[in-house]
Amino acid sequence: MTDFISLILEPLRDVYAKFVRFVPNLLAMLIIILVGMIATRTISLIMLKLFQTVKFDSWSDRMGLTSVMRKGDLWAKPSEAVGSFVYWLLVIAVLMAGFSALNIQAIDHLISNFVLYLPRVISAILILAFGYIVTGFIGRAVLISAVNRGYLFAKLLADAVRILFIVLFIAMALEQLQVAPGIVVAAFSIIFGGIVIALAIAFGVGGIDTAKKIIEKETEKKEEGSKDVEHI
Amino acid sequence: MNSVIARKSISDHIEKIKDAEILVGIPSFNNARTIGHVVRAVQAGLAKYFPERKSVLVDSDGGSTDMTVDIVKSTVIEDYQAILLYHRNEPVFKMAIPYHGIPGKGSAFRTIFEIADALNVKACAVVDSDLRSITPEWVELLLKPVLKEGFDFVAPLYHRHKYDGTITNSIIYPLTRTLYGKQVRQPIGGDFGFSGRLAKHYCSKDVWQTDVARYGIDIWMTTEAIANGFKIAQAFLGAKIHDPKDPGADLSAMLHQVTGSAFALMETYASVWKGIQGSEPVPTFGFQYEVGLEQVTVNAERMRNIFREGIRNLKEIWISVIGNGDYNEIKALGSRLNGNFRFPLALWTRIVYDYALAYRKKILPREHLLKSMMPLYLGKTASFVTEVQDMNQSRAESAIENLCREFESSKDYLVNGWK
Repeated sequence: MTDFISLILEPLRDVYAKFVRFVPNLLAMLIIILVGMIATRTISLIMLKLFQTVKFDSWSDRMGLTSVMRKGDLWAKPSEAVGSFVYWLLVIAVLMAGFSALNIQAIDHLISNFVLYLPRVISAILILAFGYIVTGFIGRAVLISAVNRGYLFAKLLADAVRILFIVLFIAMALEQLQVAPGIVVAAFSIIFGGIVIALAIAFGVGGIDTAKKIIEKETEKKEEGSKDVEHI
Repeated sequence: MNSVIARKSISDHIEKIKDAEILVGIPSFNNARTIGHVVRAVQAGLAKYFPERKSVLVDSDGGSTDMTVDIVKSTVIEDYQAILLYHRNEPVFKMAIPYHGIPGKGSAFRTIFEIADALNVKACAVVDSDLRSITPEWVELLLKPVLKEGFDFVAPLYHRHKYDGTITNSIIYPLTRTLYGKQVRQPIGGDFGFSGRLAKHYCSKDVWQTDVARYGIDIWMTTEAIANGFKIAQAFLGAKIHDPKDPGADLSAMLHQVTGSAFALMETYASVWKGIQGSEPVPTFGFQYEVGLEQVTVNAERMRNIFREGIRNLKEIWISVIGNGDYNEIKALGSRLNGNFRFPLALWTRIVYDYALAYRKKILPREHLLKSMMPLYLGKTASFVTEVQDMNQSRAESAIENLCREFESSKDYLVNGWK
């Protein structure tokens, strides 16, 4: 009977012993995360204050950083944008440091994998950020040009161009993240090619009249061009 | 800066001529049809009015492929007797040279300024190569105020059809007059006279990678002259009738280059214009008379359509520039776009000022910002066309004068926003 009880109690003791060994790690993780979060928030606030003191926003205006952000339809202040980027970077670092304090092999393994994967994540983020700016810039340029030429479907055209670029950059980012790269490339080719073919068919079959109108309008405009330029 | 004078073929020319008193520059690009007449008029003007002064005619060409340069070289006046009372004493030298740099009128002018500087001329004039109404008297009217009266800059004053020159009438003239306080009626007229001193000043500026190298050159020349305190005048030249320009040319690009240059100059000379109140006339030379003008036809319906498309599609951009209140006013205008619609002067004035402020604050890429102004400009132009359609020239001119007064009375809005 004693043997039987000890057979039951032994695993519980083991669990307890493991728990007792684990509690300091857990506490360490919680403390690291708590202190880290406070430190992160403090650093980000100090950074914002520092940016205000050195007039980072005005400097960004002069150096064209604000203009680059506006090109991509990013309307936050440059100081706030940089501040929140640094904040989230620090949050990730704090979480990783906290989890590694648990001293669990599986989590350590995951973290080391994550660290190895991080360059890909960063380059995917950069691709998306660049894509966001380029898409915003090109979309707006197409919209303004189409409106100035008097096209009836200016917004539709600009949105179509935007979607094409979004698809392109998302595919590039996913490819960078190695998320089923073969499928991503194939899917991208199918979607991108599909959109182009769909547009060609839609324009060729469904939009004969529209195409005719646009071409006629263009021809008319060329004839009227001389009248336009004399308005200077 | 890559000076054109460094090129051997040009330095040889300059070496041969050594110095001159007068230089007349003609920027050209595929103007074979009209340039012969312009060259003849200039040669006749120099022969008739400045026979005793050593003169140079420079054709600054942008790589024409239609014999423009050959025509310039070969054009001579066969019968001087018909126009001259006495024989010319000094020769007229002719140079037809390709300019370098960004393709555009400004780059062509840069070459002319540099040659004027190298030849140490006393007076220069520039005239467009597509003019059909130029006469020898233009040469006298543009150069004499410089040579005899000591003026540094002579702007043209023409009679133009009421529908012609709408960028000038609705933006550039009211803005320049309000900012710098001088009533120069054709600040981007394109045909100017200026002193050798001012040519040297133009040469000293490094602006040849900007829109000044293109259509921005005219407003740049005028503003530089006024803002730097050079002595300004204008000369009445009669009618301006010119050859239809390149049909492929994009009005949106012209509007963008001209207004962009004007706004950029506002940044450069903010300290000059901020304190100026009101405006004053400038001395005007030449006998003013009524002239017959060629009919200009405009398609107001097309302008209204583009304005309507702008209201429908550019809401976010316009609100970021002119604010919600003025956007709503524009939207209300869009809902009654018939033949009688009128663009309120105060609203148009605020729009131009808001665009200047937005340009300064770089709230959007500048090209996008300026091009997004196009539908608003066309809306204003359509309104002007319908407003003045039954008016004679002088009443149409009064409508422009009213706009200028509105610009002047609202200048505080711009000055306060600039801070």
